[in-house]
Amino acid sequence: MRTVALLGAGISGFLGFATIASADESEHGLEAPNYPWPHSGILSSYDHASIRRGHQVYQQVCASCHSMSLISFRDLVGVAYTEEETKTMAAEIEVVDGPNDEGEMFTRPGKLSDRFPQPYANEAAARFANGGAYPPDLSLITKARHNGQNYVFALLTGYHDPPAGVTIREGLHYNPYFPGGAIAMPKMLIDGALEYEDGTPATEAQMGKDVVTFLSWAAEPEMEERKLMGFKWIFLLSLALLQAAYYRRLRWSVLKSRRLVLDVVN
Amino acid sequence: MADEEPVDQKKYLEDGCKPKCVKQLRSYEACVKRIQGDESGHKHCTGQYFDYWSCVDKCVSSFICLEPQFG
Repeated sequence: MRTVALLGAGISGFLGFATIASADESEHGLEAPNYPWPHSGILSSYDHASIRRGHQVYQQVCASCHSMSLISFRDLVGVAYTEEETKTMAAEIEVVDGPNDEGEMFTRPGKLSDRFPQPYANEAAARFANGGAYPPDLSLITKARHNGQNYVFALLTGYHDPPAGVTIREGLHYNPYFPGGAIAMPKMLIDGALEYEDGTPATEAQMGKDVVTFLSWAAEPEMEERKLMGFKWIFLLSLALLQAAYYRRLRWSVLKSRRLVLDVVN
Repeated sequence: MADEEPVDQKKYLEDGCKPKCVKQLRSYEACVKRIQGDESGHKHCTGQYFDYWSCVDKCVSSFICLEPQFG
């Protein structure tokens, strides 16, 4: 009788948890695989043609929702475009400037010194336009996410149908790499969505690779100089270490080769 | 454009990698069958789904070539 009561209490206690949401593998998202990025090596530079294409992808596909407010047009000069090309590109946008001598704000065409244009005036406007979700600023995104480059590539090219038993509410989309699985952004990289300036076929994987290279550059523009400096200084400091080790042993040899004699006092 | 429609490289590699991950795929399909007709809405196959896609991803990343192609 008592065992039945205990069993009943146990079952009802267990059933009490039936309505609580439980955590599972989707909590952290599917781990992105490690792709062989051409700029990964110890002395490897960025593929600058890829940065140029990636900027095109950003401008045409992503810029309508994602800001990159830490990058200026002048940053592109010598990296992805010539100065004239960048000036022309900047002049296509309208920038609010001022106040002028009459105290009024005015609009003017963009210059090299201007930052990339923002799609929304502020975060609240961005959330309002995207069903409550804020499209994050992409200036540092590959550094701001764990395993950033691989994660962003996997996310952009990894939209699949949800597994059996998983339903995503209206307005969200399933993406296994996104923590929780339900992302507000729909699949944006579609084959042939844009025409590359240099004629490269714009497949989903190509656009994904180019835009991630562009975002990696945006987050770490100093990477090439840093690698050169690092290689140079690690080499020089290794030589200095060998020299220091030799000199230390030379000076200490006097003490290390002395003889101590213990004698009996009569 | 004179060329035929270019095939998405990643999708092509994923299709080629499916035979390598048959074990995980069968495991996922078995799960789908198991939870068919579930009314509570709590049963799902995310685990097996992740195992399958993890296998495919590993295979794809070993073949994918991100180096610039010339010509």
